[in-house]
Amino acid sequence: MRRLKTTVSAMSIMAALVMGPVQVSAESVLRVAMTAGDIPVTIGQPDQGFEGYRFVGYSLYDPLVLWDLAKGDTAADIKPGLATAWKIDPEDNKRWIVDLRKGVKWHDGCDFTAEDVIWNFDRISDDKAPQFHPKQFASIRNRTGNIEKIDVLDPYKVAFITKQPDSLFPYQLSYWFMISRCQLTKLGNDYEAYADAPSGTGPYKFDSIVPQERLELVKNEGYWDAARVPAHDRLVLIPMPEATTRAAALLSGQVDFVEAPSPDTIPRLESSGMNIVTAPYPHNWSYQLNFVDGNFKDKKVRQAANYAINREEMKALLGGYMLEGYTNIPPSTPYHGTPSVKYTYDPKKAAALLEEAGCKPCKITLAISTSGSGQMQPLSMNELVKSQLDAVGFETVLDVMDWNALLDVARPGRTKNPGIDGINISRALQDPFSALIRHVYSKQHAPAGSNWGHYSNAGVDALIDEIYTTFDPPARLAKLTELHEKMVEEAVMLWIAHDINPRALAPNVKGFVQAQSWFQDLTPITVE
Amino acid sequence: MVSASSVEPQALADMQSGPALKVRGYWASVAYRLRYDYLTLFFGGMVILVILSAIFAPLLAPMDPYQSSMINRLKPIGYKDFLLGTDELGRDLLSRLLYGGRISLTMGVLPVVIATLVGGTLGVIAGFVGGKVNMAIMRIMDVFYAFPSILLAVAISGAMGGGIVNGMVSLTLIFIPPLCRVAETATSQVRSLDFVEAARASGAGTFSIISVHILGNVLGPILIYSSSLVSVSILIASGLSFLGLGVTPPEPDWGLMLNTLRQAIYINPVICALPGVAILITSISFNLVSDGLRSAMDVRL
Amino acid sequence: MTAYIIRRLLYAIPIALGVSMVCFALVYIAPGDPLQTLLPEDASAETIEMVKKAYGFDKPIPVQYALWLGKVLTGDFGNSIASGRAVSEELFKALANTILLAAGAVAIAFSLAFAMGTVAGYWVGSKVDRFVTGVAVVGVSIPNYWLAIVLVIIFAVELNVLPATGMGPRGSDTFELLTWDHFRHVILPIFTLSMIPIGIITRTTRSCVAETLNQDFVETLRAKGLVESQVLLHVIRNSLPQVLAVMGLQFGYLMGGSILVETIFTWPGTGFLLNKAILTRDIPVLQGTILVLAMIFVATNLVIDLCQTAIDPRLKRS
Repeated sequence: MRRLKTTVSAMSIMAALVMGPVQVSAESVLRVAMTAGDIPVTIGQPDQGFEGYRFVGYSLYDPLVLWDLAKGDTAADIKPGLATAWKIDPEDNKRWIVDLRKGVKWHDGCDFTAEDVIWNFDRISDDKAPQFHPKQFASIRNRTGNIEKIDVLDPYKVAFITKQPDSLFPYQLSYWFMISRCQLTKLGNDYEAYADAPSGTGPYKFDSIVPQERLELVKNEGYWDAARVPAHDRLVLIPMPEATTRAAALLSGQVDFVEAPSPDTIPRLESSGMNIVTAPYPHNWSYQLNFVDGNFKDKKVRQAANYAINREEMKALLGGYMLEGYTNIPPSTPYHGTPSVKYTYDPKKAAALLEEAGCKPCKITLAISTSGSGQMQPLSMNELVKSQLDAVGFETVLDVMDWNALLDVARPGRTKNPGIDGINISRALQDPFSALIRHVYSKQHAPAGSNWGHYSNAGVDALIDEIYTTFDPPARLAKLTELHEKMVEEAVMLWIAHDINPRALAPNVKGFVQAQSWFQDLTPITVE
Repeated sequence: MVSASSVEPQALADMQSGPALKVRGYWASVAYRLRYDYLTLFFGGMVILVILSAIFAPLLAPMDPYQSSMINRLKPIGYKDFLLGTDELGRDLLSRLLYGGRISLTMGVLPVVIATLVGGTLGVIAGFVGGKVNMAIMRIMDVFYAFPSILLAVAISGAMGGGIVNGMVSLTLIFIPPLCRVAETATSQVRSLDFVEAARASGAGTFSIISVHILGNVLGPILIYSSSLVSVSILIASGLSFLGLGVTPPEPDWGLMLNTLRQAIYINPVICALPGVAILITSISFNLVSDGLRSAMDVRL
Repeated sequence: MTAYIIRRLLYAIPIALGVSMVCFALVYIAPGDPLQTLLPEDASAETIEMVKKAYGFDKPIPVQYALWLGKVLTGDFGNSIASGRAVSEELFKALANTILLAAGAVAIAFSLAFAMGTVAGYWVGSKVDRFVTGVAVVGVSIPNYWLAIVLVIIFAVELNVLPATGMGPRGSDTFELLTWDHFRHVILPIFTLSMIPIGIITRTTRSCVAETLNQDFVETLRAKGLVESQVLLHVIRNSLPQVLAVMGLQFGYLMGGSILVETIFTWPGTGFLLNKAILTRDIPVLQGTILVLAMIFVATNLVIDLCQTAIDPRLKRS
């Protein structure tokens, strides 16, 4: 063995001599294994779900509004990004006045000004503009669709005119990345070329990309927020969709930071000295229900299903790596409130409710996927849910399909799928609109929005309309809390779990604070 | 042989049964050779055992293969009543392996059977009729033959989506062209042989020529070739399930079980290896039986 | 001979056209919208329509096929919908990586299998023969993706001597096969992929050698007084064409069949590209990859066929 190693090192020394001078740099490198199947696109709005936003979007670019990811003990909220301040026009509840940050430079050296905001808006809204990109348009449309137009007030002040009043508008801005007008124009608006030379204002600059394999970013010494200049020199992002491959790569020292190790690999990772970090985050593993066609139109049946779930057992299945989901959002969310009912495991009550509803045996069909973004361990978890539901008097059919097929059921909503009573699709609950409103607002009935099962309730609609026009944050928070409590009482979903998103870090990776968010700040990490 | 001038009804009957007799003698010699081929007999026994255990899985399985139990997940071999331990949902692995054999074997055998019927028929027709029909059939086959089998299976299943039926359709489709080709080659060779010409000259109908003369001589090569495809089919099917393009859960299937158990390989590697062992043993058995048949029947492909 | 070659080449054209149709059609037998996974899950119907139009998916399918074929003939496979990059760029890079694996696996398989097969074929029925036959059967019967996982656990995780994944410390861009740091990445994937060819080539060699030994000319050679090693050399020379043909075929199969192994080792080849394209329904990538792999298979078959005919003109058939 030793001889092999000697030979090997001799060989590599020889090889190094042949190849040129040995690099003796003390560059510190953080290598991250992502769950994505490919490198997220680098041209602004990333693909690969929120993982693309997390590692590529917020690294290369900044939106006007950023997320505050420095703390791990409370749910993350927004903070100033390329905008330093925003306020609603007291005269006009459809006009937001936004101050832009001065002295920010793009990675290519140009200055960031109001013109860049206008240009970026055309990029994702005006199909006549040379910088327009149809897929970029599609991927941000549901966040920016409410913008009527943007007026430049001065080089560092703009006004956003919205089509409808939206008190939650700043949240929508936090998903929209600003890319460099200078750079794309220089490249003749050629996005294929730009993808290999992107330029943003973010804490990392682009270094190199090997399509399918790795994206290498280097720290931006001149980042406008000195506190967030990365503490390591280089960030390497590697797509690795197989969970076992990620674990093996960490164990064999090929990467330092692994996303979503599967619960069954965690004991092995821990025994090798890896650090497992977790935090509740706004992610809901649940079922959206059909409120029109099947048995779930009866609130008693919905509540029965929620009482039938033994979430402790589910937690055991996941090796403890989840938070029991009794409500729509994790309890650490500011607008969680104290709902009047709590769906602790109570099979007797569940059976009684079914009896009351006259639903015996209560036949339901749940559409589930074999894999997919945020679906955790969909097969085993759904199997368990089925056995628990059936134990109290349901007769559950699992309609298993692949992720694409499930999206095909999810998009058009219940109208096209009357035979399906619930759909197991994980949702990001990053902001109040995503967390609450879109699931229950009647204007969000699918296919126009995410209210898959067409929940309709005049009281809820009125409350949401009030939220949209309440611009005073504490007052709005009270209304949001009321909305969430109402949703829980109405049992608008079958709630199972909140993910706590385990990550595994090599022992030499220090300084990472896991925020309660889909997004994370890697900049404070040091690699020893 | 009998000269054409002295063909009497009796003689014609003799001639017709001639090749058939020859076939019978041939099968007898095959059986004789097989009787002393202990390796093939042993693995033939294994194949029968695997098939029987799949058929009688409901009687043999000690537990419900779908019944999960969180406190009993990933238990080792011999834990309590679980003879082969439990899987990631605490289901009895022995029961799941037995039931899994039903799906895995079906996916190994059924596509081959259907492909043999379809491909074989097309090949015999192409070989027997010849000319433009042959052209048409064989050129279409050539197009599909131009795809490496796994690529075509993955592409078809990937396009149509997962599921047992789609998986079997794609497997059937990839096996038809090679089987058609084997059948066509064998038929063309037999067609020009003397006794077929003689039967034709004596006025025997096309159907009887095909059924008696052609099939008697073509069936051997086709069957041997099909039998060699069974293990290929099992392997590709399990690969499809492994990629998420084949059997969908909660159905027990060896490839799918390998896929889902893989996550637990650090907790209980032995358990995770079992479905792989099941695939390996079945595949080896089918391969060796096919080899044994081939040498006993002395057919070259 | 020349006429035969020309006829054979001309014959490949309709096949290629048929293959292109199948590749194109495959993607459209799928249910659902071709763009769905590329858009946010809550994209509205109107947004989807707009994007469909921008990518040309609103045109009738025969028109799409004609446009696609016209471009493919000039080497333009369009752009990946997911990454926005030219399909040809991604594809040919992946192709090089897969050829590395396939060629390596076939080379290893050939050297091992030819030796084993010759020994087994020379001493048919001996213990060595039984052992070799056993190895060959295991080779073709083992699920290679399963073997890959087992190898990773042993060599990468437990012994920590070989990497678990990827193509090198800096990816494939700076790949230098001759440096240990890179070479160690190819060991496990190549070994895994070589299992099936080892099995098949061993079996072919064994039966070829055994058969040749039974032919009359071998006795003649012995009668002439050639020593046994010289006889064996003749036998080997006689078996080689058929074994090489099988080897070529195996290369073609591996080019199209490495998807499982590439997925497990995150090897940036065509199989990995294909798997990714299936998951995201990236139509241009799917069509281009399947087409090119099938064409390589057709070409491999053609070359084998022509070589065999060159060696043995008796094989020439209409």
